[in-house]
Amino acid sequence: MKTKGIPKFVIYLLLIIFTSVPLFFSIPVPGQPVDASADAFKALMNLKEGDEVLLASDWTGSTRGESMANMKSILRILMRKRAKVAIWSTADPQAPRVAQDVMAEVAKEHVEVDKQPAYKRWDDWIIAGYYPNADVAINAVAKDIRNAFSTRKETNPEGKLKSIFESPVMKNIKTVSDFDLIIDVTASKTSDFHVQFLSAQKVPLLFAVTGVMVPETQVFYNSGQCVGFLGGLKGVFDLEQMMENGLNIKGADGKVLTGNSKVTDEIPGFKGMSNKGSGTKYYPTLHFALLLMIVLIIIGNVEMFKAKKGAQK
Amino acid sequence: MPVEKVGWWSNNIPQLGEQYWDTGWFGLLFTLTFVIFIVFNVSRARKTDLFIRRVAGLNAIEEAVGRATEMGKPVLMVPGLSDPVNAYAVQAINICAHVTRIAAKFSNPIILCAYSASMYTLAQEVIRDTYQSEGVPERYDLDSVRYISDRQFAFAAGVSGLILREQTAATFFLGEFYAESLIFAETANSIGAIQVASSTEATQTPFFIAACDYVLIGDEFYAASAYLTREPVMVGSLVGQDWAKMTAIAFILMGVASQSIFVSSKAKLTEKAFLAAGGNKLSKEQSADFKDKFKAETKTAKEEETKLFNIQKFFKPGPPPEDLDMQREKLPQEPEAAPGAAGANQ
Amino acid sequence: MKPSDFSIWSLDPTKGTVFYHVIFAIVIGFAIFFALMNAPTQVRRPLTWFLTLLSGGVFVVAAYWPKPINFDAKTQKPLNAIESGSVFLADTNNVVGSFTQILAAFMLGLGIFSLLRIHLGKIAKKKTDWGFSIVLLVSMVSMITFGYWDYTTRQANKLVDYDVQSNWKLENMGRDFLFDKLLQQMDAAMFSIIAFFILSAAYRAFRARSVEATILLGTALIVILSLMGIVSAYWDGAVTSLAGDSANKDLILNFKITEISNWLRNTFQTPAITGIRFGIGLGTLSMAIRIWLGLEKGGK
Repeated sequence: MKTKGIPKFVIYLLLIIFTSVPLFFSIPVPGQPVDASADAFKALMNLKEGDEVLLASDWTGSTRGESMANMKSILRILMRKRAKVAIWSTADPQAPRVAQDVMAEVAKEHVEVDKQPAYKRWDDWIIAGYYPNADVAINAVAKDIRNAFSTRKETNPEGKLKSIFESPVMKNIKTVSDFDLIIDVTASKTSDFHVQFLSAQKVPLLFAVTGVMVPETQVFYNSGQCVGFLGGLKGVFDLEQMMENGLNIKGADGKVLTGNSKVTDEIPGFKGMSNKGSGTKYYPTLHFALLLMIVLIIIGNVEMFKAKKGAQK
Repeated sequence: MPVEKVGWWSNNIPQLGEQYWDTGWFGLLFTLTFVIFIVFNVSRARKTDLFIRRVAGLNAIEEAVGRATEMGKPVLMVPGLSDPVNAYAVQAINICAHVTRIAAKFSNPIILCAYSASMYTLAQEVIRDTYQSEGVPERYDLDSVRYISDRQFAFAAGVSGLILREQTAATFFLGEFYAESLIFAETANSIGAIQVASSTEATQTPFFIAACDYVLIGDEFYAASAYLTREPVMVGSLVGQDWAKMTAIAFILMGVASQSIFVSSKAKLTEKAFLAAGGNKLSKEQSADFKDKFKAETKTAKEEETKLFNIQKFFKPGPPPEDLDMQREKLPQEPEAAPGAAGANQ
Repeated sequence: MKPSDFSIWSLDPTKGTVFYHVIFAIVIGFAIFFALMNAPTQVRRPLTWFLTLLSGGVFVVAAYWPKPINFDAKTQKPLNAIESGSVFLADTNNVVGSFTQILAAFMLGLGIFSLLRIHLGKIAKKKTDWGFSIVLLVSMVSMITFGYWDYTTRQANKLVDYDVQSNWKLENMGRDFLFDKLLQQMDAAMFSIIAFFILSAAYRAFRARSVEATILLGTALIVILSLMGIVSAYWDGAVTSLAGDSANKDLILNFKITEISNWLRNTFQTPAITGIRFGIGLGTLSMAIRIWLGLEKGGK
């Protein structure tokens, strides 16, 4: 099982060291948000109190490194903006469960750490559950959300099971166009279906995708089919930076800490609140992993040229 | 303005076709044109021979199976992670059937790993049929088509285990693949298997290219059937697809032309209008303010123009304007918004 | 009155007659099932073709039929035949869409049968690695058992808050251990293996073998470097200070690494992906037409 040059075992060992050791240290890394992240931040910060958001949570434990961090940051903003959130999933039966766990964690932090008024289930957020067959389900929601979600129920504050359409979150929703923003935190093809069925509904779409999905999501962003997206770890890092420093906001020394040349709006962040999470924590590690990759690519090429020279002699 | 009750539009009842004003008809027409292209070429191919070019990855199929036979090791096929069975899955199974046909000729054992139960059922039928049509039904092993798991990474672990245990000599990964693509390809690469792969997911194709010997990119995956069987239906639909591509290219060129000529000339006209309105004759400060404001407005208008630009704009008019007498009378319960914009099943 | 009240696909679940409808449907379903099992292939083939045409037709017609605009203000019923047609199609669409799930559920049984046959056979014949087969079967049985047990308990006690761990019983703990603590973690572990494979594949494949490969290598390095905040901060800073207030400022600023990487993404990557996806879309469309019209002879 050996490659010609460095044995695989050594490569793997190096990766383990390069990705785990930096986690023990806090390494500050500079970084400016990419256009897509800045646009995503703008769309989230444009929400007003009471705005309704449909949040598709289409990820599970396997991509939690990127997706959970994205989800947490987005939820933090939604809670601070006091938007009403309906969560639903189409990618995996386990997804609503994972979403609920993250929601509970962020809601707790919202009250205990950030000292904000409680963000309550039923009043502020609901879970519409899991729907198999992502394309059919998203199409059904696009066509008639009242029909698609008609059987879903939640326990109201009086302890009674009631239709989610009686909750303050959904009571004003007649069609999917009534939402002010649709977000898909996804690690699968559901972003495609969102564009396919929902981009014609005149609701801004926002995606939080894994690193591998960035190129294909960029297509939707460039064509204007989504207002912005957070791509992989870099996206989370960008969002956390913008939440901490604001976007294009000048610091005490008159310099812009976090800025973007395309999105020129000045949007203040949430200084002093818990903004930084996995993105800020893992981003230095990404540097080390990428550095290792570059070094290995260079070694591979040097080896190849040496072998070529040897063969010519 | 009161609406008089004259003509077919004024009786509250939408007439056939009126709904398309709201929902748009250009996309539908575009798709329909493509369908006509495909169906027309299928019928054309039945009469004449149509040319299709070579696809390198498909020539490699025979070579790969041949090598597996020489080594006396099985051929492994994974027809993607489609659940339920969809067009990708059917196409993947078609190519797998072709591989099986060659393997049946060489009496080479095969393993087909199914991700979903419906895929398993379909694959079993097709593989059994293939052995029968080759006249060697006795060579069909019931255990050669296997259901592994319908959880992505459990499936990845299962297939990787199979590759390592069975030491497969040739592997075929065709269809819908996601994050597990590299796990498969690298595992098979580590045991030196010859690999032919194709993913319908554009983002996974690079992983296959890095680790596999032959990769079918994009719609080469669909061209495979036409190339392998040379059946008129397949060849015809392939040519129909090419016609559709030509149409799309023509529209892209039209879009580029209209964007370059009309939009930029419109911006120039606006600037001319600014000068004509006496924008430069105001006092210095006034002029600066005026100019800034005007510039900002022009910029926004330009951005909006670019953002909104799509082909439907030419073909899909918005709801009829207020002063046209084509307007329908509003129903009592109808909201003030654009008619019909809200769904009906409320 | 809601539209579903006059839909032929839905019944009021509070009415007792629903039960009879269900029984009737099951009996008819089984009768058709056995009739088809015993029908000769010559009958089955055209019947399959017809069913495919019919069920596919629902989606095609629904896409092309005018969308419903409004209901009659008083009766809340569709206004005319065209509108009734669209409402009917919208309802039918949902019903036919769920057929796939029902069929898939039936087929799951076949899948489990395949697993059992292969692995029980392996254990009985004590083939190599038969121990793994035991592990697989035990995992499967325990997951199914705890999954259903947990589900039925939760369904029976809907008002108990299962988010609170102190309310858990054995079945809830078992499911939590198997699903959340084992399966989810193993999923994550399998996913993280990709990092190792990406690295070894990059080391092996990213080589300047030809002109094309060198271009690929160059662009890949630029994109990788642009993802590293430290590199982009210093590179961009250097370019900005180099540009200063010189006459060619705008030109020089184009050489910021973030600008180059953006240019690569927007000018080459996005159109390439769009093109590939368009091709795949067309391929899928033509495959769908062939399947729908019965032109596709699977595997032939």
